[in-house]
Amino acid sequence: MPNELGKPAPAPTFLRLSAGTVYFYFGFLKFFPDLSPGEFLAGQTIMRLTNYWVDAKTALFLLAIMECAIGLSFLFNVFLRFLFTFFLFHQFSTFLPLFFFPEITFKIAPFAPTMEGQYIFKNLISLSAGWTVMFPAVKASSRQARAEKAERKALASKKLEHGDAAPVANQAHTANA
Amino acid sequence: MKWFKMTKRRNYIFATIVVVALGIGITTTYAKYRGTDLARVPELPGEFVPVEGYDNYPDPPTSKPITNTLELYPTIDKGFRTPFDLWRYYGRDASSFSSPILPMRFEQWVEFHRKQKPQLMEDVREYMASRYDFSGETISGATMSGGKPIMKGPVARLPEGFETWEELAALSPEEMKEQDIFPYMPLAHPLQSTAHMVFPDAWVKVHPEHKRIDVDMDFPQAYLPEFPPPLFLTTHRELGDVTNGREITLDNYYEIFDGILTPEQMEGLKELLRPSPTTWFNHTDHRITEAASKGVACMDCHVNGHTNGAFELAPDSRPHMARLRVDTPTLRGNYNLMQLSSKRSVRSLDHFSEIEEYFDGDPGMQQAIGPRAVKGEVSNRMGDFNAIVDNPPTPKLDPLMRLIPALATESELRGEELFHGKAKCAQCHYGDAFVEDCFRDLKVERFYLGRPEGPIKTFPLRGIKDSPPYLHDGRCPTLHDVVEFFNIVFQLELTRQEKEDLVAYLLCL
Repeated sequence: MPNELGKPAPAPTFLRLSAGTVYFYFGFLKFFPDLSPGEFLAGQTIMRLTNYWVDAKTALFLLAIMECAIGLSFLFNVFLRFLFTFFLFHQFSTFLPLFFFPEITFKIAPFAPTMEGQYIFKNLISLSAGWTVMFPAVKASSRQARAEKAERKALASKKLEHGDAAPVANQAHTANA
Repeated sequence: MKWFKMTKRRNYIFATIVVVALGIGITTTYAKYRGTDLARVPELPGEFVPVEGYDNYPDPPTSKPITNTLELYPTIDKGFRTPFDLWRYYGRDASSFSSPILPMRFEQWVEFHRKQKPQLMEDVREYMASRYDFSGETISGATMSGGKPIMKGPVARLPEGFETWEELAALSPEEMKEQDIFPYMPLAHPLQSTAHMVFPDAWVKVHPEHKRIDVDMDFPQAYLPEFPPPLFLTTHRELGDVTNGREITLDNYYEIFDGILTPEQMEGLKELLRPSPTTWFNHTDHRITEAASKGVACMDCHVNGHTNGAFELAPDSRPHMARLRVDTPTLRGNYNLMQLSSKRSVRSLDHFSEIEEYFDGDPGMQQAIGPRAVKGEVSNRMGDFNAIVDNPPTPKLDPLMRLIPALATESELRGEELFHGKAKCAQCHYGDAFVEDCFRDLKVERFYLGRPEGPIKTFPLRGIKDSPPYLHDGRCPTLHDVVEFFNIVFQLELTRQEKEDLVAYLLCL
C-alpha cells in the first residue's frame, strides 16, 4: 500500500516471517511420507486436479517443493514477485477440497465444516497475510518495471528524433552478416 | 525498542535458524516416528551384526532389505482410489483392527461414489485394455461344461518392440525386470481401499442387490466362468447337471435336491445359500450398496458349487493394501484336497466352511455388523455338501486320468506328453485331480520390480477349462495365457505348436 510519499509501505516483518515459517514448516513435513496430517487431502486434491495423471507421491513431492520455496521466499524476503503467482495458485488450490471433497470437508455443506474444512477456511487468513506481504513488493516491482519500460521507450523515441535508429539497425545487420 | 528492529542481517539470521532448526528437527523426529504404533512406515532395518567368531561369513540374504526398491503406500482413506500397481508398494497399517465407521456420513458416501465411480471405471477399463486385448475370439468348437464358448488367447499384450512370445520368453528374468516388460504382473483390486467382493456383470444383472456403488467388475463377461454353471454330484453322476441350467437359490434348493441329498447335506446346502452380513454387504451404513443388504451367501460367489468369477482380497495379511486379489475358487473336487484357499492354507472342508466369515480376517467387525454365528456342527454340514460337489465329466480320460488314444486328437496326445515331460506341469499337477497339496512360491517377482507374493496354493487342473481367469488373481485370462506365463517363468522354451498342444490337452481335463 503506498504511503503519503507514494512509496510502498514495507510489509509487516513479523507477519512475513511467521507466514514463511508456517509455509516452510508444513511444506518440509510433506517430504516425509506419513508425517504430514495434510498428506491425504492434499495428495487426493492434486490427483483429482490432474485427473489422476499424477500419483500421490509425486503430487506431495511437488507440493512440498512449492510450499518450501514460498516459505523461503517469505523468510528471506527474496523472489517475492516471482513466487507471488505460485502463492496465489497454491492458496487457490487449498480451497479446492471444499469443492472436490465436500464429503471430507463438510459435515453438512456448506455451513458445517469438519476439522479439515475449518483448516481450509482458515487459509483465508493465510491468503490475506501473504497478500499483505507480497503484494506491495509485487506492485513496487511492477511499477519499477513500468517506469523502466517507459524510460526505454522515451529514450528510443528521442534517438529516433535525432536519426540515431538507422545506424543501430545497420550495425545489427552487419553483425548478423 | 531499537534493539528489536528487524534489520536485514537479523532477518537472515532468524530465517536461517528457522530453516535449519525445522530441517533438523523434522528429520530427527521422522527417524523416531518410523516403526511406532502410529506410523505406516516400517522401522528401517538395522545393520546386520554377525555372531562373534563368524565375522568372515557373508551376510545372510535375510539381512538385506528388499524394500529400498519399493514405494511406500500412499495415505488413503476408505473409498478413495488406490494405485492399480499396488505390488510396487510396501508399508504397514496404523492398526491391524478395522473400524465400522465411514470417513463421512452415509449420504455423502453415496454421493462421493456417484461422482468417483464413472471416472474410476473409465480408468480401470483403460488400464485393463493396456494390459489385455479382449478381442472376443473363441477357441473353435471348445466349450465349458455348460456350453459357454472358451476364449482364445493369449490376450495379454506383448511389450512394444516384440513380435512374438518366443522372442520375449528368450529374455532372462533380469532383462525383463530391468526393462519392466513382464506381461503377467499381478492384478490389484481396482478399489483396494474398500476392496471386498466384486461380482461379475451377469450376476449383478440377476442380483441387483449386489450392485456396488463404488466399483464394477473389470473383466468382460466372456472371459469369466459360465453363469449359472452346471452342478455335478459325486453321489449322482447318472443325473449329470442336477440343476438343469438353473441357479440354485434358497427358493428352489429344496425342490431340486429333496430326495437326492441326505438331511445333513440338505442343511449344509441351505446354510451355503443363506446370506449373512459381511464387511461391506450388510444392513449398516458401513456398506457399498445403496440399499441395506441382507449380505452375501457362500454360493453367491461359489454359485452352484462352482465359481462365477467374483473376486475378493485374501484375508491373510495386513496392511489392507498388501492383501492379494484372489478369484473365487471352484468348490468342485474339493473332496480331493487337503489344503484349500489360495493363501490361507485352510486345512479341511469343515474348517473352510467355518472360517469363511467374510469379515476380511477381522472378527472384531462382527460386533458392529452382525456375526454369521455358524455353530461347529452346522459348518460341518456345509462341509458335507461341499464334499459331494463333483468335477465335470471327462469323456476322453481313462480311470487313471490318461487320454484314451482312440478318443483323443494328435494335438491332445502331444499335449499330454508335454504335460508330463518338457512343460513340467505334472511336477506339481499330478494324480486324479491334477494337483498337489502344496503351496508353491514361483518367485515371479524375479521378472518385475515388486513385493514378493509368497507361496500360493497349487490349483487342481481337473475341469480347468470351466474356471477362467487363471492364477490366484486372474492375471492370465485364458489357458493360452497360462501356458505363456509358465513358459516364461520356468523358461521352458516351448514352441508355438507345443503351446497349442498343451492348451488342447488342458481342455480335456
